[in-house]
Amino acid sequence: MRSRWVKPLAVLVVVAACTSTGTTTSGPGTTGGATGPGTSPPTATGGTVRIGWGGSPDSLNPGNGLLTEAYTIYELVYDTPIGLDLDGNYVPELAEEWSVSDDGLTWTMKLVENARFHDGTPLTSEDVKFSLELWRDNEDFPFLPSYPDVFTIEAPDPTTVVLTTEEPIGNFESRMVFMYIVPKHIWEEIDDPVAYDNADMIGSGSFELAEYRQGEFVRLEANKDYWGGAPNIDGVIFQTIENPDARVAALRAGDVDMITEMPNTAISTLQSDPNIEVVIGEPLAPGLSDIFFNIVPDELCPAEDGVCSGHPALKDLQVRLALAHAVDKQQLIDVALLGLGTPGISLVPTGLGGYFNSSLVDYPFDLDEARQILEDAGYLDTDGDGIRECKPDQSCDDLTFRFNYPSDSDTAPREVEMVSAWWKEIGVATVVQGLDPDTLTSVCCPTFDYDVIRWGWGSDPDPGFLLGVALCSEIDSGFSETGYCNPEYDALYDQQATETDPETRREIVWQMQEILLRDLPYIIPYYDLTVQAYRKDTFTGWRTDATKLALEDPTSLNVIRPAG
Amino acid sequence: MSRGRRRYVIQKVAFAALTVFVVITFNFLLFRVLPGDPAVGGLRDPRLSRETVEALQERFGLNDPVFINLEGGNPFESQYFAYLGALIRGDLGFSFAFRDQAVASLLGKALVNTLWLVLPAQIISIVLGLGLGLVAAYKRGTRVDFAALVFSLIMWSLPTFFLGIVLLFLGSAWLGLPTAGKITIGAIYTGFWDQALDILRHLFLPTLTLALVLLGEYMLIMRSSVVEVLSEDYILTAKAEGLPTGQIIRRHAFRNAMLPIVTLIALNLGFTVSGAIQIETVFSWPGLGGLTVRAVGQRDFPVLQGAFLLLAVSVVLANLIVELIYGWLDPRVREA
Repeated sequence: MRSRWVKPLAVLVVVAACTSTGTTTSGPGTTGGATGPGTSPPTATGGTVRIGWGGSPDSLNPGNGLLTEAYTIYELVYDTPIGLDLDGNYVPELAEEWSVSDDGLTWTMKLVENARFHDGTPLTSEDVKFSLELWRDNEDFPFLPSYPDVFTIEAPDPTTVVLTTEEPIGNFESRMVFMYIVPKHIWEEIDDPVAYDNADMIGSGSFELAEYRQGEFVRLEANKDYWGGAPNIDGVIFQTIENPDARVAALRAGDVDMITEMPNTAISTLQSDPNIEVVIGEPLAPGLSDIFFNIVPDELCPAEDGVCSGHPALKDLQVRLALAHAVDKQQLIDVALLGLGTPGISLVPTGLGGYFNSSLVDYPFDLDEARQILEDAGYLDTDGDGIRECKPDQSCDDLTFRFNYPSDSDTAPREVEMVSAWWKEIGVATVVQGLDPDTLTSVCCPTFDYDVIRWGWGSDPDPGFLLGVALCSEIDSGFSETGYCNPEYDALYDQQATETDPETRREIVWQMQEILLRDLPYIIPYYDLTVQAYRKDTFTGWRTDATKLALEDPTSLNVIRPAG
Repeated sequence: MSRGRRRYVIQKVAFAALTVFVVITFNFLLFRVLPGDPAVGGLRDPRLSRETVEALQERFGLNDPVFINLEGGNPFESQYFAYLGALIRGDLGFSFAFRDQAVASLLGKALVNTLWLVLPAQIISIVLGLGLGLVAAYKRGTRVDFAALVFSLIMWSLPTFFLGIVLLFLGSAWLGLPTAGKITIGAIYTGFWDQALDILRHLFLPTLTLALVLLGEYMLIMRSSVVEVLSEDYILTAKAEGLPTGQIIRRHAFRNAMLPIVTLIALNLGFTVSGAIQIETVFSWPGLGGLTVRAVGQRDFPVLQGAFLLLAVSVVLANLIVELIYGWLDPRVREA
């Protein structure tokens, strides 16, 4: 379902859930899984919850992780200074409070006093400073260095961390949510942190690593001394079950208590099982699909790699406007995704805090209107073959576009077929071809050797990353897929990057989304929804009421208890 | 060992060694003509800075010349010779995708798991397949033969993953067998037998699936091979001499019918290390097949090179063994 070319990072979500655990009334053996029904009082604790998922972490070293599964484990085993809850709000974690100086250049974080690593060592500001510098200074770590790269870090006393920047930054909180705090006394001995497998994985989170076999399972035990309050269960097992049908069978047979992803076709089967609850919601890190146009201006064609063979008519906003009127997003969702999506509109997905511009109004699906736009703009079908001709001043024959999609996507072929059919009705032809992601990259950017591509992005808690791909300066780097370049947009981007007042920053980010919808370098067909399912007869208290759905998140695993 | 025999053996071993070397070189070049940047496994993300990509390429030595260093200096300072040198030391390098894992250790763990699954299945299916194939051939045209033929044809032609998923559903629903993995995670065993039983329970369904698929193939080949031999003149002669049936089959038919079977078994055993990809996926068995498939997706050259090397060596070894056994089974081969 999800576009695989960017492995989306899981968004950090920790609520310092301080539920008191009381005394353990039952401690069933781990092999049996949950406690037997009937006898446990509603405050029962204990039990090991077994979760079936399709993948497995690629590394226990937080610097090395690329896969979502790895980040799920980091969230449970490590603490970060600031958390992001399932409703998209930044919440205190290791940092009880934080503030910025009046000039916007100095951030001060006050740490909790009772945090300890799993080996009993107290967690102090020295560990925070060490960790931030570790992630900042090792460029071979793929993702983490881009978060703390602007900071100089000081630790004036054991519970205070001071970060200074050269320019004000608008996304301080989001830069802290992946900053996993590792123990300095262990990691300072490591010569090459990138080659370090971190097999002991000593963190300070609510769960600690008990056993790990790559590609098979991860077993965590509850940290009974967790500073934020111990979980109610004894532990959690993440078992890799690669085949989706086998995962469904495992849930039905009671081999696992929860599955993190499942085939859409299995939903109705599971819903009919009285012991199983199916939950549908927005994923933690929403995938984003996009249909984008090659509109790179000739004068900005990358000198080194550029081919810039895009169809000239696509540079005409009226053509893109007509195409936008000829995409029925709801039908795409219903047919290609079996209903598991919400119509998209902005490059910033819904649920990214308040940054998604909810006031945007999409172009309606209206083929007559689309035809009219093309007629008015002077694109007429003069030779009667059903395809409109280019205008005389354009160096092209007719509106026939190359339309590519990643061949590793399950749903893209169907989507592209549907979109092509609508476009055909307004006199626009397509030549459709699926390409493997590497080949797609090589025609896409920064070569710009394509006309239209259906692809996608993963997402990040901060809108800055996705909005950045539409900057003029990213045309040469290859992150701009479209070649879109608008100085007005770039100026707003710079402005939001240094704006420390969240409300002002939100307004700028909203304005940027309006510009993108007006200029249409992208059509965003939909945002993914995710499906998870759990057994009602083994554990209760799964967190299903938040904006985001992630039952494998600490917010659920810290509070669930055996079903009584 | 006669001189002819010795020359035959030396020739075969030398040829096998040459084949392995060619495969190593071919593997190396094959992965380097693929498009895409292995340093980041085809990953595109705005957070991935140019500096990071360059640092990773430097770490993996991807900036060095591929085959021969023509840029001046030592011509052997290239990725290819670095790879050969490391190989001689038994070092298969570090995985690109699992940056903190050595390839040799990844492959080693997966190989052990694969052998656990494939060897028992092979042994069961060889013993049963040869026996049933022999019986079917001897009783050809009867109802026994017909039943055996239908059974083996179905098993051989069923898609492996389909048979696997059907057995998984039935086994977990009716017999309460585990659906995935090779042990009960986090189990506390009371003793050796407890643990052995747990592994056997996990092993049962995948082994059964693989054994059934292989059984069909062995039965069919064995049956047709024996049927062919049984129609030879010397069998008729043996019958005419009044030899007992058992003796005809054991001494005259079996050994001659074994020639194609030995080839098949040895080739199958050679491919053992590639793992039973489909079965490993259905039952989430952490073997070599799954590791290889994931490595392809992530452009994990070192793991792929290692896996292909392992596969090549074992196929070549298996072929070598077949040729040596042939020399013993069929004297005509080594005289030729």
